[in-house]
Amino acid sequence: MAGIDFEGTDVPVQQGDTIAAALYRSGTRIFSRSFKYHRPRGLYCVSGDCPNCLVTVDGEVNVRACECAARAGQKVTRQNAWPSADRDALAVIDKLHWALPVGFYYKAGIKPKFAWPMVEPMIRKMAGLGFVDHHDAPRHLERVNWHPDVLVVGAGVAGLEAALAAAGAGSTVMLIDETTPGARVASGPTRAAIDRLTAAVAAVPAITTSWNTPATGLFEGPLLIAVSGDETFHIHPQAIVLACGGREIHRVFTDNDLPGVMLARGAARLAGVHGVRPGARAVVWAEQPEALEHIAALTAAGVEVVAVVAAEGLDTSAVTCEVIRGEVTAAKGRKRVSAIVAAGRTIACDLLAVGSEIQPNEHLVRLAYDLPVVVAGDAAGHGLTLDDAMASGRAAGERAAAGPELYAVSPATPRTCGANGYVCLCEDVSVKDLEVAIDEGFESAELLKRYTTVTMGPCQGRVCADQLRAVAARKNPDLHRVANATTLRPPVRPITLEQAIAGAPHHMERHTALTAKHLSIGGTMMWAGPWKRVEAYGDVQAEYRAVRERVGLIDVGTLGKFLVAGPDATEFLERIYPMRVADLEAGRLRYGLLLEEGGVIIDDGTVCALGDGRYYLTVTTTGAERLESWMGDWAEAWGHDVYVVNQTASLGALNVAGPQARALLQKLSDDPLDRESFPYIRHRQITVAGVECLAMRLGFVGELAYELHFPASQSAKLWDAIIAAGAEWDIRPFGLMAQRLLRLEKGHIIIAQDTDFETTPWKVGMQWAVKLDKDDFVGKAALERHLKRDDRELLVPWTMGAGTACPPEGATVTMNGNLAGRVTSAWHSPTLGHPIGLAWVKRAYAAAGSSITVGGSPATVFSGHAFYDPEGEKLRA
Amino acid sequence: MSHFYIRCPNCGPRACSEFSYNGEVRPLADPAASEAAEIDRLWLRRNANGLQRERWFHAAGCRRFVTITRDTRTNIIVAQPGEPAGDVATHA
Repeated sequence: MAGIDFEGTDVPVQQGDTIAAALYRSGTRIFSRSFKYHRPRGLYCVSGDCPNCLVTVDGEVNVRACECAARAGQKVTRQNAWPSADRDALAVIDKLHWALPVGFYYKAGIKPKFAWPMVEPMIRKMAGLGFVDHHDAPRHLERVNWHPDVLVVGAGVAGLEAALAAAGAGSTVMLIDETTPGARVASGPTRAAIDRLTAAVAAVPAITTSWNTPATGLFEGPLLIAVSGDETFHIHPQAIVLACGGREIHRVFTDNDLPGVMLARGAARLAGVHGVRPGARAVVWAEQPEALEHIAALTAAGVEVVAVVAAEGLDTSAVTCEVIRGEVTAAKGRKRVSAIVAAGRTIACDLLAVGSEIQPNEHLVRLAYDLPVVVAGDAAGHGLTLDDAMASGRAAGERAAAGPELYAVSPATPRTCGANGYVCLCEDVSVKDLEVAIDEGFESAELLKRYTTVTMGPCQGRVCADQLRAVAARKNPDLHRVANATTLRPPVRPITLEQAIAGAPHHMERHTALTAKHLSIGGTMMWAGPWKRVEAYGDVQAEYRAVRERVGLIDVGTLGKFLVAGPDATEFLERIYPMRVADLEAGRLRYGLLLEEGGVIIDDGTVCALGDGRYYLTVTTTGAERLESWMGDWAEAWGHDVYVVNQTASLGALNVAGPQARALLQKLSDDPLDRESFPYIRHRQITVAGVECLAMRLGFVGELAYELHFPASQSAKLWDAIIAAGAEWDIRPFGLMAQRLLRLEKGHIIIAQDTDFETTPWKVGMQWAVKLDKDDFVGKAALERHLKRDDRELLVPWTMGAGTACPPEGATVTMNGNLAGRVTSAWHSPTLGHPIGLAWVKRAYAAAGSSITVGGSPATVFSGHAFYDPEGEKLRA
Repeated sequence: MSHFYIRCPNCGPRACSEFSYNGEVRPLADPAASEAAEIDRLWLRRNANGLQRERWFHAAGCRRFVTITRDTRTNIIVAQPGEPAGDVATHA
C-alpha cells in the first residue's frame, strides 16, 4: 500500500503525519472502544496523555496513534472492538451499565462459585486493550548511561532556555523531550520562540539533545530513566530541571467522552501542526486566555467557530463570534458530538474544544522529593505567559548549574468537577461510580483508586487524577485528607517489558584460557561459581582409571590465586589462617582452612612461602572473589601494611596427576623432579616445555601429582606439550566428576558441598589444621567457646558392602527408622569395589565402626580418614 | 531502583552499582568482653533505620574499601571517606 494499511484500507500519509493525523484526515473519528462499556472514543488530548488513540501497530499493542509517526506500509488496527470499532457489537454493554456497577468483580460472580472461572475468561476477552502475540520473540535492548551535570526534561521554551542558561554557567547539559521541539505547537509566537531557541541550543557543544525520548521514572541518585527507540537511557545528572510543561484539565460533564470533544490544544495541534480540519462547526470552551489563541489556528484550518463558552472574568474582547458566559454541562450525540449544552442553551456543533485551566505535568515532579530538582515553566505554575515561561527556564537553568537544594513537593488543592460524565477514560469510571463507591465507604482518593481502578489505566492519572480528587473532596468536604493525591510510582509513562529490563545485569560466565580446547575435545561444561568448568570428557570411569593407573591432566586454572607481600605479610597470614604460617621455610607449602569469626569453615587452599616474606595462596574456585575483599577488609581493620594481589585470571593452572606424572614431566623439564629434590608438600620454580611454572606437590586426588601455575597466556602451549608427552601412557584429561570421585576416596571434603554454615573444623575431623596455641587468628575465640560444648552432628566417612547400590547425594541417614543425618557425598569406588561417602551423623551414632542406615541400606562408619591409600604412600612417591 | 553515588578515594564519585555492600561497620573483638557481648557483636546487627556507618567494596573499580555514613531511609550519604561520621557511633 502507498499509505497506512488501516484495517485493510489504504490511508494516505503526508509529511510529518502521526498515525492519528493521517487517520483523522481520512475521516476516521472513532479510534477505539472503551475498556468496559465499549463506548466509542475519538481523539481527545492529541498529546500522548489519554488512552483514546491506543492502537496496534505492526503487532505492537497499545501504541499511541497521536505520538507514533506514520509510515507507508504500517499495519494499524483498533483494539477492544468486535467486529470493528465503528460498528462494535459489544457496545450493547453500554446499555447494561446498571448491571455492571463499579466493583462488580467483587459483588457479582461470587455465587455460584463454580460459575466464576467460566465467566472470568469471557470478561477478560470483552474488556481490555490489545492482544499480545505470545510467539513474538523478545528483543534484547541495550541500556545507555549518561552523566551530564544538568539534565533538562522538556524542550519547550522553558526547557530550552534552562539548557542554554545551565550551559552558559559552565555545566554540561543533556536535554530530552518526548517528541521534537515544537512538534505539538501550531505556528505563532510560542512556536517561533521554540524554533529560535532550538537553533541556539544546537550551536552549543556542551548541550547533548535527545528527542523522542520520554522519561519514565525519576529515582534517588538522582537517576532518570528514559526510553529512546531501542535504547533505555539511565541518566545520572548532578541536578535536574523539570520543564515538562502542563496540560488542560479533563473536564467532566454528561457524555464528555464523545468523539468530537477534544482538548483545545489537541484540536489546535491537528489544525495548526498537521493541517487537518478537526471539525466543521466548533464551540471553544475557554477557561484561560490561551484557549482563545487557538481560535486562530482552528479558523485557519477551515473550522467555523460558532461560539465561545467563556469563564467569568475572562477577557473576550478580541473574540468575534458569540460569547456565552458559564460552563458546558453536556454534550449530545450518539457516535459523535452533534451539539453541546452550555448555560442552558443548546448549540449545534461537531467539535467542542475544551480550553480548560492548565495544570502542571506533575508526574515527574511528584517523584522529585528530596532530589536536586528545579521545576520550570508550566510544570511549575499554570498559565504562564511566553515571557514568564522563558524567564522561569533561565532562572531554573542557572539554579541547576549552581547545585540546587533538594526539592519538596507541595500539595495542590483540588478543583471543581461536573455532576455527570466520565472521570476515567481508561477504565470507564464515571462520577456516579465514584459517588456510589464513596457511599460504600471508600472515601479517600487512594481507596477509590484501588476499588474502582481509576488512575490505574494507561493514562496513569494524567486525565483523571485531578477530577478524582475533586469528586472525593465534593462528597466529603470536611473529611481530612480524602482528596490527597494518590501515590505515584514509576513508570510514569507505560513502557514495554523489553524496555523495562533493558541492559539487565549480564550473567557473568568466566572461562579459562583452555575452554575452547576442552569443548573441542568433547568436554561437557558445568557451573562452578562464576566459572564454567569441565564436568567430564565423556567417560568418567576412564578418566578415573587414567589417574589411578597411569596419568591424567586437569585444568585447575579457576582456583583463586593470590600473591601476598609487604612488611606485615607474615603477621597478616598468621591471623588469617588457623594454622602456622611464620615457620614455613621458602620452598614449603601448607594446607590451610579459612574460618570466619564464628569459627565456621569458609574456604580452604594452600599457602606457599616464596621467601623474603612473600607468599602465594590458592583458594577454592568459588571463593576467590569473596576472599579478596575479605582479606582486604581484615588488612585494613588490623592496619597491616600488606598487598593482596588477585592473580586468579592472570595465571593458569594445570594438575598432572598419576603414578607416571613424574616420568611425564621429566620428559619436558630439565629441573630435578625426583623425590629427594622435590618432595611432597613442597613447591619449586621449574621450567616445563619452556614455560616457567610454580610447581606444587599436592595430593587432592591421592596420587603423585604436580600442580603447575604459570602465565595464563601459556595455557594452551603447556596443555598440548603435556598431552603429547603423555601419549605413551595414554594420558587422559579429566573433569570435575572424576576429580570428585578421586578426592572422595581420599576422604577430602569439598567446602560448601560437605560443609554448611555451621561447620567448624572439629565437626569434620580437621582439628589438625587449627593451632589453638597461636596468639590469635580469625575465629579463635569462637572455636574456644565452641569446644566447651559437644557437637550435635559430625561429618563421618562411611562404607557399604560390595554389591550395594550407591545412595544418591542428599540421601538420609536413619537409625531405627528415625532421622539421624544426611549424605553429602557418595560414589561407588571402582578401586575398593563398594560405595563410599561422607555424611553428617548425630554424635551418638558417629563413632568409628557404628552401624548406620544410609539411604535405606546398611553402612558402617569408617574408622579412618582416607578410604584409598590411608598411609599416603602414593602421594609421597 | 536504588541509585546513588559513592565517592571512592581512588576513583572519585562512582555509581553505587560498581560497589558491593560489605555491611555495617562492626567493632573488632574485645578480649575483655563477656561471652554474651561477643556473641551479640558477631551475630546481631543494628540494622539502623537512619544513619549507618558502613563499608563498600569497589568491586568494579579499584577493589578497595570505602567507609561511608548513609541514611538508610533516603540513601543520602552524609559522610564520605575522610569526613567525620556524623552522629553515628563509630567502630573500628
